[in-house]
Amino acid sequence: MMVKEAPDEFERWVKEKWGASKLPEGGIVPYHSAYAYKTGDWSAFKAIIDKEKCISCMNCFYYCPDSAIIMDDEMKAECDTQFCKGCGICAKNCPVDAIEIRRVTR
Amino acid sequence: MSGIREVKGMTGDEAVANAAKLVNPDVVAAYPITPQTIIVERYSDFVNNGEVDTSFISVESEHSAMSACVGASLTGARVFTATASAGLALMYEILYVASGMRCPIVLAVANRAFSAPINIHGECTDQLVCRDASWVSLFGESAQEAYDETILSFKIAEHPDVMLPAMFGIEGFIVTHALERVETLSKQQVEDFLPESRSLKYRFNPDDKMTFGSLVLQDYYMEIKRQQEEAIQRAYQVTKDVMAEFSEMSGRKMEVIEEYKLEDAEYAFVSYGATAGNAKAVVDRLREKGEKVGALKIRLYRPFPSLDIHEALSGIKAVSILDRSATFGSPGTIVQTDLASALYGKENVPSLHGYINGLGGRVLTLPEIEEIFEKTKDYHDIGMTTTTDWVGYRK
Repeated sequence: MMVKEAPDEFERWVKEKWGASKLPEGGIVPYHSAYAYKTGDWSAFKAIIDKEKCISCMNCFYYCPDSAIIMDDEMKAECDTQFCKGCGICAKNCPVDAIEIRRVTR
Repeated sequence: MSGIREVKGMTGDEAVANAAKLVNPDVVAAYPITPQTIIVERYSDFVNNGEVDTSFISVESEHSAMSACVGASLTGARVFTATASAGLALMYEILYVASGMRCPIVLAVANRAFSAPINIHGECTDQLVCRDASWVSLFGESAQEAYDETILSFKIAEHPDVMLPAMFGIEGFIVTHALERVETLSKQQVEDFLPESRSLKYRFNPDDKMTFGSLVLQDYYMEIKRQQEEAIQRAYQVTKDVMAEFSEMSGRKMEVIEEYKLEDAEYAFVSYGATAGNAKAVVDRLREKGEKVGALKIRLYRPFPSLDIHEALSGIKAVSILDRSATFGSPGTIVQTDLASALYGKENVPSLHGYINGLGGRVLTLPEIEEIFEKTKDYHDIGMTTTTDWVGYRK
């Protein structure tokens, strides 16, 4: 089974900012799958998808280099912003211009 | 066998291979390179003859050898390898991976000069430049010390307070190929000294999955490095304890530094590895001439035993450092700069005179060491607190 969330301990040391005396040695951490590493937090752009326009061709799904496009229950494309780096490849390859790349405001 | 010691004639390389045989590591991944080749040859004989339970991995380079060792060590296996010179330089990248992932690998180094020009003979530069890799680093003077350090390196490295790799060096040909008298240990003695059970925290385990070799950036990297510093500081006391225990077991005195006739000495030689034997011989000669001189041998190079060295050298007027290693544009020889840092600002410290010698296997003769002694005295008499010279080369 795919574990989608990081173990509690991992969450704790990030939140509590653990130091050398408490962290596990050698950067050896409890196992979790790539789902638990939220790698999209540094991106300046995100893909915003207009589901009304989506024709379910799945071009974006296959072209996304980071597997950040998910197909929902109705087979419409959706962007997982926790992984999207805003590269724009999906928008470039969308035949109906349903994807817009927008600057993230924090 | 109590009270009776078995003695065999062995070269330095054979001593390492025979000691490793008693340890019986789970994995040996090694690539042959002169003058270390015989260690690998002998060990593969043991594997072939079924005398050990080791998985022997023949690899295509030293980079692969150390990489295989890291992988094996992360499963909790006891791992041994050996190399020299260019091979150690090729391992250099993975040395940091091994220590960074806290793999207690033991590495025998047959110290040899770097190219170019190509040279296969003794020189300790290869090991000394690995000083910052967070490896415990030892030097041996003789085949006997090579034998002993093979065994005790495992115990230091695998100590739960340390969990860092350890390397020990013997000089190429001078020790590795010289046939010497070696007092051996029994299989039982080594098994008692080095128990099978050891810490398997942070190792591969099917029931408790871990991520190894993760990406750690600005936010956590420094904490992980700090852990290594604390571990190698702890390795200082662990090494002393392990050496004390080893001395008791083997009946051979083993300490982080070796003092020779230093009690009433006014001058001293500081050396490491095979040069220490010559230094002691010169001490005897000079003592006959009425000179108050002694010798100090550094056996543990990292962590650097600053306290022991300060204690041993305090009150001495001047020290000649016999350094069989090359360094260029440096404020002193490699070991001289370590000594200077260890002694700076302390009381009763000697003046430090470094002598780069013996590069590429060049012989440093006893009369030359006597000349070094006279030179050091002259430097001291005119009030120079630190000097560095090259000796034993044609101008």
